[in-house]
Amino acid sequence: MTGSVVAGIGWVTSRGPGRGREAREFSMTAGPIPPVTREDVFPEPNLRFGRLPHYSRVGLAAIAFALRDAGMEHWESKRPTGIVASTRTGCLATDIEYYNTVLPEGGGLPSPNLFSCTLPTCFLGEASIQFGLTGPTLIASDPAEDALGGVRMGLENLSWGECDIMLAGHIDLPAGPAIPGILPPLAGGLFMVLENARDSAAGGYGTLDLSEGGAVRHNGIAISGLNELVRACLAFLPAGGTRSVSSLPASRPA
Amino acid sequence: MNEVLITATATVTGLGPDLDTTWRRLLAGETAVRPIRRFDVGRYPAGNASWIEGLESRGDRSLLFPILERLLDGFDPLPKGCRLVTATTKGCIDTFERVRKGLTGDVADIPVSGPLTWLASRLGLDDPGVNINCACASSTMAVARAAAMIGSGRADAVLVVCMDLLSEFVFSGFSSLQALDPAGCRPFDRNRNGLSLGEGGAALLMMSAETARGKGIRGIGSVVGWGAANDATHVTAPARDGCGLIQAVRRAIAKASIGPDDIAAISAHGTGTVYNDSMESTAFEAVFGSRPIPLNSIKGAIGHTLGAAGGIEVAAGLRSLADRTLPPTAGFREPMEKCVFSVSPFPQPIGGGHLLSTNSGFGGINAALILKGNPE
Repeated sequence: MTGSVVAGIGWVTSRGPGRGREAREFSMTAGPIPPVTREDVFPEPNLRFGRLPHYSRVGLAAIAFALRDAGMEHWESKRPTGIVASTRTGCLATDIEYYNTVLPEGGGLPSPNLFSCTLPTCFLGEASIQFGLTGPTLIASDPAEDALGGVRMGLENLSWGECDIMLAGHIDLPAGPAIPGILPPLAGGLFMVLENARDSAAGGYGTLDLSEGGAVRHNGIAISGLNELVRACLAFLPAGGTRSVSSLPASRPA
Repeated sequence: MNEVLITATATVTGLGPDLDTTWRRLLAGETAVRPIRRFDVGRYPAGNASWIEGLESRGDRSLLFPILERLLDGFDPLPKGCRLVTATTKGCIDTFERVRKGLTGDVADIPVSGPLTWLASRLGLDDPGVNINCACASSTMAVARAAAMIGSGRADAVLVVCMDLLSEFVFSGFSSLQALDPAGCRPFDRNRNGLSLGEGGAALLMMSAETARGKGIRGIGSVVGWGAANDATHVTAPARDGCGLIQAVRRAIAKASIGPDDIAAISAHGTGTVYNDSMESTAFEAVFGSRPIPLNSIKGAIGHTLGAAGGIEVAAGLRSLADRTLPPTAGFREPMEKCVFSVSPFPQPIGGGHLLSTNSGFGGINAALILKGNPE
């Protein structure tokens, strides 16, 4: 299959937020994720962000950082970019928060705002609104431990011609003590901006494709997990580097 | 691109434990929306939903598993190497509720990997599977993904299993959004006032035409087009101008290499909320003009089954094409304003071979499928 260029990377992990061109290290591990504030993500006031639960903030922030890293954060008209993320626990942390508003009053005072965030896809809707993205948006619950399901599906979408740019990644948060025993091996959110490669000159953080068996490959080398993939991408782009993405302007409306 | 057939279907709905029963009662214009007995609804303005009679859990397991057992009981054997794609929005949400109330429940069932793992094991599949969550468009997107997998040659066969339960968790949420019609939903009706929740499941076995031919299987019909788009407008409300649905339908028509005039019937999302049905009517008119295409919603009969809705609607849509009859829209009495399409409380004849099936959901997602019948 044709490869796709990694044009930008953004994340929120236990060490906080980051993006590829500003950080030379990456590690996603298990464990709690510190709060993400509006000031961490957007320089200007953002009415929507403050109302979001933690899961949605982590996801929206990772998408914002990935787009910023690719020079695609700003837009003037909507663009047909899709979003896909894999997860193991989805928005279970938000479910707990919402159901706490149902339990005390026997169903009398459930929070409509929290309920609207009890689908793991809702932050994709927030991102679509924030950044004008009109491609397909989906969450894939994938029991695989490599956390590459979202990237794999994003590459498939691109190869099938569903759209030309996909944000693909992974998101998980620990459920916490309310439901003990559910601890995803990787916690946080990470997204990559993937774009169909239009010529042979790979740019950005290198090229991804899928083997016949469905393995994710970076510049032709099979990758076994999300941490390995991001580290391979960061190693490909020199620190503070400006390796261009051949077909990607710094900021553009579609 | 490989031709994508659907070779076997099964459904479990509030109207019946199998597709034949559901189909017969759909044609009769019946509804399964009735007073809820599963949990106390005394504090909510609405108290109706469509629920499945006689569901019993084993021990502290989720009610989702008896739905899946009913779906798979007697289902066609799966080809070797068959892949698994599921669709659910809340999975074993009843187990989540039990655990949060301090009752016993298998915590491993709470993430969607719980029922996914159970299914793969029950079916003896090597593929651990993946669940697609796209809110109320989940199963439409799952069918689209399975079609793309087969069409591109990534898979020879895919089993799509769609499922969701009626739960207080979800009921309380839609109630808090004031989205439930206490009188039962009335899709595309002038006096529509909200949705009715439902529960159910569907199983759809999809395979390439070549694989089917090799097994001597003719197929019930095919998925010839699919498309999806986000309207990027609002998280819980549809775009008034239907921009996302218009894009999704146009992409599906382009994928199918047909024209708008080839669509003979529409199985709409039709939740019965004021804004959804109005948005759909606007979007369909933008694509199809003022041609009075037969259009229905089965949510007045079986409720809004969330992640199962699109899968059940595909099974019913294929039966519609086979019988050349679109089931009634239960709850519909008076046409809504400015709707040019033919909605009816009675069965309507279908005069062509392609049916459009659409769903839209929270987060702004819209998805469309085009089904083609397999004439005798």
